[in-house]
Amino acid sequence: MQLLLEQMVNGCAIGALYGLFAIGFGLVFSTLGILNAAHGCYASFAAIAGYYAATSLRLPFAASLVAGVVTGAALAILVDQIAFQPLRRRGAGMLGALITSIAFWMILDSLAGLATDQQSLSFPAGTFPSAMPMLGTLPLPAMQMIAIGGLIVVTIAIHWLITHSRLGAAMRAVGWNETAAQLGGVNPRLVILATAGLAGATSGLAGVLAGISTNNVSFTLGEGMLLKGFAAVVVGGYEDVRGAAVAGIGLGVAEVLSAQYISTSMRDAITYALLLGFLVLRPRGLFGRASFLRA
Amino acid sequence: MMQKLLDLWAAYESTLAFAAVNAFFALSTYAVMATGILSFATVAFAAVGGFLGAQLMGQFGLPLWLVLPASAAGGCVASLVVSFVFLRLESHWLALASLALILITRILVLNAPMLTGGVNGLSVPIEAPLWLLLGLLAVVALAFWRLSVSWYGIAARAVREDPAVAGSLGIAPRRVQRMAFAVSGALGGLGGVLLAMTLQFLSPETYYINISFTMIAAVVLGGSYHWMGAIVGALVFTALPQIMQALVPQVQDLARGVALLLIMILLPRGLVDPRAWRIRRALREARR
Repeated sequence: MQLLLEQMVNGCAIGALYGLFAIGFGLVFSTLGILNAAHGCYASFAAIAGYYAATSLRLPFAASLVAGVVTGAALAILVDQIAFQPLRRRGAGMLGALITSIAFWMILDSLAGLATDQQSLSFPAGTFPSAMPMLGTLPLPAMQMIAIGGLIVVTIAIHWLITHSRLGAAMRAVGWNETAAQLGGVNPRLVILATAGLAGATSGLAGVLAGISTNNVSFTLGEGMLLKGFAAVVVGGYEDVRGAAVAGIGLGVAEVLSAQYISTSMRDAITYALLLGFLVLRPRGLFGRASFLRA
Repeated sequence: MMQKLLDLWAAYESTLAFAAVNAFFALSTYAVMATGILSFATVAFAAVGGFLGAQLMGQFGLPLWLVLPASAAGGCVASLVVSFVFLRLESHWLALASLALILITRILVLNAPMLTGGVNGLSVPIEAPLWLLLGLLAVVALAFWRLSVSWYGIAARAVREDPAVAGSLGIAPRRVQRMAFAVSGALGGLGGVLLAMTLQFLSPETYYINISFTMIAAVVLGGSYHWMGAIVGALVFTALPQIMQALVPQVQDLARGVALLLIMILLPRGLVDPRAWRIRRALREARR
């Protein structure tokens, strides 16, 4: 029982990272219609920026976190403007953007490799909170609580933003039809920048937290996040950030429990089986609504 | 002079072999894209063909002329099975599902060591001679040329432009797309076994996401509106890393990415673009 509870907490913490990443990935997919292969690189670069902020600049934990988030957002906006804006003007559709995002994936991966000397760095002890409060006999490591808390706060904030604010309404309008939104008085350029920045920031947060909790700050960090975040978006339904958050947690728990009780080699199998099952049986995901688009 | 030419040939022979193999993958991806489907599944069909072919050669010692058709058939069967599930999905979801299929293929490969060698991989006893690769590619290219001017090719173009209109013209979009999947699977399986024979070693990473991303990129780069585009794209995409390694060895991946980005932004319809030919011809005739 003790072991099961501990593993549940572990699973939720890992899942929170997937969920955070998936929120950004899903936001770009639903609002901008881009399947962004470079999205994982935002997390890698955020983790690298956070690492150097904590080690070279000796900034406190919160400031390193902010450095990572800002890096993620800035990078996302930069990539969007260089790789996607020229295609958008031409109306090249999803395929063109996918290819340019693959190009940026190659570019950013190799830059991240140069930035870390092709090695995997890890945050030195003392640069992040390592307290371990106990709930009865159950240890609750501070970093895991920060990840879970971060996911809850970000999910509520972004969900409120999308459903209750003017910017959110504009984002939904652009996601539905950019031309129609423009006719309705929305400035699509601004909305696109805001969406890209927001998506980059959440992925950046996920990247720094993942870099600390997995002891891996390198370009491989983003790749792992990309695959799991992609699964979470599909399972949760990309139209709703709550779906990505719930699915992220669910995948994390399923992964940890199957590694504990079935076998470690089946860990990823469960994730991807869920992914394919959802795609075939319920493509709109857990929280998605039926769409009225032409098939 | 003669010696220099021979050295050059030795250095670029393997590049040419890989370009030929990649051309099979690119044509396989093009086959479905020509009916308006973005699918990454080629690499999964390649895994079926590759591991099947490797086992037939290694375990049963079958000759090459049996192994190649068997691998193509294996890929074809796999693609037909997959197509029954995939063609029910909308376009975005189909692309995502095909990505998921690749991830699952790797897990299956890792967890079935009896068939695939698992993490240790599998060595392949026979090497593919270059003339065989190029000869097969020529045959396949001929088939694509005949197909592109046949009823099927015209139907595929109609389905790609607008499935609803195609349907009203008496073309069954699903059936055309299923045909495309069958062609894609057969070519993927064939490419898979040829890659196995070129590398002479298979690991779970051989047939993974990198190949499918580069193949999609190669097709779009070469031009996704003509079968020749796939071959040109594969050639460029195989040669590009070699050239970058010769020119700027430290940052070759970086340079490759930048090259892809520039080509995509400057030439969005690809290197081989039938529409540009038609426009040019029309202009010439107008001037006359």
